[in-house]
Amino acid sequence: MINWLSFTNGIRHAVGIPVIGLGTSMFAFGAYLKSSGFDLLQSLSSTLFTFALPGQFVMAETIVAGGTFLNIFLAVLLTNARLYPMTVNLIPIIRHPHYPKWKYYCLAHVIAITAWFNMIAVHKKLPQEDKFDYFLGLGGFLWMSSVVCTVLGYLVSHLVSYETLVGFVFINPIYFLIMTLSNLKEKKLIFSIIAGAILSVILFHYIPDWSVFVAGLVAGTLGFIIFKKETYDS
Amino acid sequence: MTANFIYFSIFLASVATYCCRAFGIFSAKNVSVDSIIFQWIKCISVGIISAVIAKIILFPAGLLAETSFSSRLFSTGVAIAIYFLFKKNVILSIFVSTMTFLIINFYI
Repeated sequence: MINWLSFTNGIRHAVGIPVIGLGTSMFAFGAYLKSSGFDLLQSLSSTLFTFALPGQFVMAETIVAGGTFLNIFLAVLLTNARLYPMTVNLIPIIRHPHYPKWKYYCLAHVIAITAWFNMIAVHKKLPQEDKFDYFLGLGGFLWMSSVVCTVLGYLVSHLVSYETLVGFVFINPIYFLIMTLSNLKEKKLIFSIIAGAILSVILFHYIPDWSVFVAGLVAGTLGFIIFKKETYDS
Repeated sequence: MTANFIYFSIFLASVATYCCRAFGIFSAKNVSVDSIIFQWIKCISVGIISAVIAKIILFPAGLLAETSFSSRLFSTGVAIAIYFLFKKNVILSIFVSTMTFLIINFYI
């Protein structure tokens, strides 16, 4: 049984900056799919069933470039591998014995960067038993609004200027950046964030497909080891 | 590319993405918020996200690739500066940064 108050509080959290930050990029993605020859139902299906923008973008690019099914599967798997540690990090935060295992596997579909960041930012203020439904409202609303924005981008992007579309695409990484800055509370996280950015730039020239995952893994592990004392203290 | 090819590609992309999430749920079953592994995974998560951001801003694909490198870098600096100068105002920093980015690229 859903705790509707927590669920609607999660939705209320998503309305505003989180929806704008993600929705503008989904709008631009809808426009990109249209210009790449996808139809409306295919564009809608992509966000409905995948809901992880970098992976969706890689899928579309690989199709346009003439890639095989294996190319597409591996490219998306690598691009979205970041969701694995994010999920391992999120589940212990929202877990409550009240919820059966299968519900977590359903909830998994709405785990993405925007919902993750926003949940991490507020979870300490929420009662443990409310966190699951709160995240369901937050992530679920972001998911549904992303579907709507992709469809809108597909249908009405011809009414929007090129400059506006470019601006829309730029909002998303800047929003992620600002959310990351708001996380700069522990030394190990500050180190991991800075090292992750620097390493990804270096590694991109050598292993472009793996650069993000390897950079994050190395930076996070170094941050954890160097500031281990802080880990024990906290 | 046929319609069936695209639909099957979407299916494969969805399976690949869900595998990452589902495997995360499976792996998290013995991880508690008090554990050392949880702290380690937290560091890796933020490290990966900052790597994603750096890649999107510095080596973008699609529309952003058509904009200048310096404009993206400068506007990112503006976002960080505004965020800290104006009491961590999220809306203001995103707005000013995006406007700066657009002005540099299209009106200068």
